[in-house]
Amino acid sequence: MNAMDTRRFDIEDIFNAINIGLIVVDTDSKVLLWNDWIAKHSNIKETDALDRQLEDVFSEPVSPPFLTALNNTLVHRLPVVLSTALHRSPLPLYNAYEANQPKTRMYQSITITPIQSQLNESCCLIQVADSSTSMKREKILRSHSEILKKEAVTDSLTGICNRRFFDAHYEIAVAEAKRQKHPLSIFMIDIDFFKLYNDHYGHIAGDNIIKQIANTLKSQLSRATDVIARYGGEEFVLIMPHLPREAAEQFAEKLRSAVFNLAIPHVKSHSFNQVTVSIGLCSGIPENDNNPLNKADTALYQAKQNGRNQYICLPLGENFEQ
Amino acid sequence: MSDLSELHIDALTEIFSIGAGRAALSLSEIVGDEVHISVPSVLVINSEEIDSTTLALNGGRFGAVTQHFCGPFNAEAVLLFTEDQALKIVGDMMGSQMSIEEIAEFEHEAMCELGNIILNACLSAMADILHFTLESSLPNYRIASADEVLCRLKENADQPYVMILHIDLSIENRHTAGSLVFLLSSSSLANLVVHIDQFLGSIS
Repeated sequence: MNAMDTRRFDIEDIFNAINIGLIVVDTDSKVLLWNDWIAKHSNIKETDALDRQLEDVFSEPVSPPFLTALNNTLVHRLPVVLSTALHRSPLPLYNAYEANQPKTRMYQSITITPIQSQLNESCCLIQVADSSTSMKREKILRSHSEILKKEAVTDSLTGICNRRFFDAHYEIAVAEAKRQKHPLSIFMIDIDFFKLYNDHYGHIAGDNIIKQIANTLKSQLSRATDVIARYGGEEFVLIMPHLPREAAEQFAEKLRSAVFNLAIPHVKSHSFNQVTVSIGLCSGIPENDNNPLNKADTALYQAKQNGRNQYICLPLGENFEQ
Repeated sequence: MSDLSELHIDALTEIFSIGAGRAALSLSEIVGDEVHISVPSVLVINSEEIDSTTLALNGGRFGAVTQHFCGPFNAEAVLLFTEDQALKIVGDMMGSQMSIEEIAEFEHEAMCELGNIILNACLSAMADILHFTLESSLPNYRIASADEVLCRLKENADQPYVMILHIDLSIENRHTAGSLVFLLSSSSLANLVVHIDQFLGSIS
């Protein structure tokens, strides 16, 4: 006596309870089994499907590759898979038949396997899985991954690009300027006496200043190719391709005055009593041994030494290297 | 190494070319464009002799679709494409239905189907022409490095012979080469030879 003989339930109940579509067809592709899942999603009762040719059961056409696959399995007795990616919706099955719900055709993943009937006929078992849910899951995962990708390159305090993004972008921009021999301008921007501001007004006020200045600097940019990033604590870096020295100097002055015009009080600022920035910039066509970022940093140091609230510009690639 | 003569190899090449034609027809129906598949060469060697040259694999990672089948002879059939090529084929097959980002996610299922079509076509051509019936498992897809693939083929002591089919596949102007490898036991290879002899006897 085998396990099937001793079972205490009806196998039909399993077929009808299972959360997958099951159809069995004979050699002439006449339907021998039509489970509840298929009945529900096709809106065709078992009694209306049994003993009819599978493709005639549906009121809509079945996809030709499905019929080819079924025929191949019936003839060659080899199992076949039909992927969602290549077929989407081979059978006219739908996700919702309830009133007021839009009828959407179900994405399907189909497996066709040869089986032998008790009369030794060649039959086929067609298993249909609903891949709509996994498609939905993939979409959710993809949108999450897009958010994470964006977060990975964004500075959380200011919302502008972070150092990680800048480092990658910088390499590409410098290499391109070298290759195409076009002028590149790099600005290092530092908030003057920021430590004193933080000590006097507190860290929350300090954070607000960083945010405000980031927004002000960003609002001055109009070209999609210009990238501003938070480089460190109170330091920003701006990279502008195709910008020659004269225009870069004018732009540096525009940035300095934009911050100055905010007129944010800073009683600990030795010279101005308000928040100011110093800007170091370098501009020109980079050459092989140039390090534009170091040069901009040197210029920033000079601007600080010269009394702050100003920009200093150093040329790039004209053999003025120190 | 094996008892296969040039005549046997010619017969197998012929059989698999018919299979390739059938596979191309099924694929054309799916992609709605012309698909060409050819089997330029068939090779039967000892699995110890197998290396990346015989498999025409040049490093990198591979997509492998496997089906186990049984009948008068049992074998494991593995269809190999480089992972990059596999992605491109699937991309072409899916056409504009799906964006490139989505392809990677559906690659497994679609590659399983592509492999299944080619494997089934080759197996059924062999079964039809040599007059026997075969049963097969469902296809299984995995990604492996060239070393992993070679290692697995070589360590298989029960199946000391390999039959390698080089496959050329072109879908919509894209040309791809892959390999179909059958792992055979000594007795399976002997049975295959018997069936080919019967077939050759019947046509001569």
